[in-house]
Amino acid sequence: MLTALILSDSRFPGGGHVHSGGLEEAAARGLVVDEPTLRSFLHGRLVTAGLLAAGFAAAAARGEDLSELDAELDARTPSPAQREASRAQGRGMLRAARRAWPSARLDALPRDPHQPLVIGVLAGDPFEAALTCAYLAVSGPASAAVRLLGLDPFGVNAIVAALPVEDVASRACAELPALGSPALDLLAEAHVRREGVRLFGS
Amino acid sequence: MKASARLVVALDSHGNSVVRVLRSMTPLTLVPARRVGPVALVHLVSSVTAPLGGDSLCLTVEVGPGATLDLRGVAATLVLPGSSGEPSSSLVRFSVEGTVSYLPEPTVVTARANHTAVVEAELDGHAELRLREVLVLGRAREPAGSLSSSVRATRCGKPLLHQQLVVGDPSVDGSVSGLAGRRVVGSSLVLDGIERKADGGEWWSVVPLAAGGTLATALGDDVVTVTRVLDAI
Repeated sequence: MLTALILSDSRFPGGGHVHSGGLEEAAARGLVVDEPTLRSFLHGRLVTAGLLAAGFAAAAARGEDLSELDAELDARTPSPAQREASRAQGRGMLRAARRAWPSARLDALPRDPHQPLVIGVLAGDPFEAALTCAYLAVSGPASAAVRLLGLDPFGVNAIVAALPVEDVASRACAELPALGSPALDLLAEAHVRREGVRLFGS
Repeated sequence: MKASARLVVALDSHGNSVVRVLRSMTPLTLVPARRVGPVALVHLVSSVTAPLGGDSLCLTVEVGPGATLDLRGVAATLVLPGSSGEPSSSLVRFSVEGTVSYLPEPTVVTARANHTAVVEAELDGHAELRLREVLVLGRAREPAGSLSSSVRATRCGKPLLHQQLVVGDPSVDGSVSGLAGRRVVGSSLVLDGIERKADGGEWWSVVPLAAGGTLATALGDDVVTVTRVLDAI
């Protein structure tokens, strides 16, 4: 449980703070501008991309073959920008984890693993892994919204607290999801093509 | 209504793709074009209104080495609720050693429909596949029913693409992280030996998949805009 708490902590040095999960692109287009539009964005992200990631974290925690999971998650992530964001966050998390929690299972991860697999291996318990992953799927974009849009941190925190993160984590433990989100894929692809200043890697 | 149909296409000794097995079962009616050539053209015709709630439809397609099948629809599919309130399902399974193009017309998810559509394709080392799907959320001024549409494509057992799209939950369909409030979503999967670069615009993209192949995706408010993107690859 302590591991899950540390991984979810925004002070964890895994490099997650440089990713907005599509929020930067959505904000730049004026699609997310205030608390109601942020709530809708985070809800949609949680029940699509969040469920997918959480399902793979749970499967990795159950001890399933990590190379097979990595290939299956690739097949469920058609956007190269999304694959790169997931692997960059996996790489960053792995670097910090090797110092904190060295293990043979961590060494069994493929090169530049998808982040949900790293979370699954570290958390060990499928539900805790899924919960951590589902929470991170919305907490990063939520804090990006505070920074990019100047939204009230208390209001944003209340939105995150009301999201059905535990329900999604429970569903993610039941079966390996394949749920896609076309709009998130398109936002991610548009974000890497965007000219000019970008504050976030995704 | 429960129905299963089967189509087998193989290459004959003259280099023509010929239909070896053609087993239709209402409403899955397979109509082969009367012509001989390197490409076998078959139309999939829905011979009664389907899918309706309660229907379970299954189509199996096998294409042998060197053979080419062009499988097309003739009209848009209306996914309708049945009087029983039961869900409906359809499964299309491809086993490809040659080349297949499956280009059905758009699927319209009408109000109160509850449908699960699954497409599975297993390719051997040299097989090629082109697969298109266009979903329309409801008829004009009608909310969409529920639809889950999954595609899983593998080559020699290894996954190339596995995507499930669920529509009919307004909190997701309307979300910028879901379908961004667009009424039409389309995708075109091309599994061949050609490498295509990533490209895109506001609500469309063409991307290379991790293990080979290309996927075009588009969101829009009408079928014409979306299919224009899909036709480009």
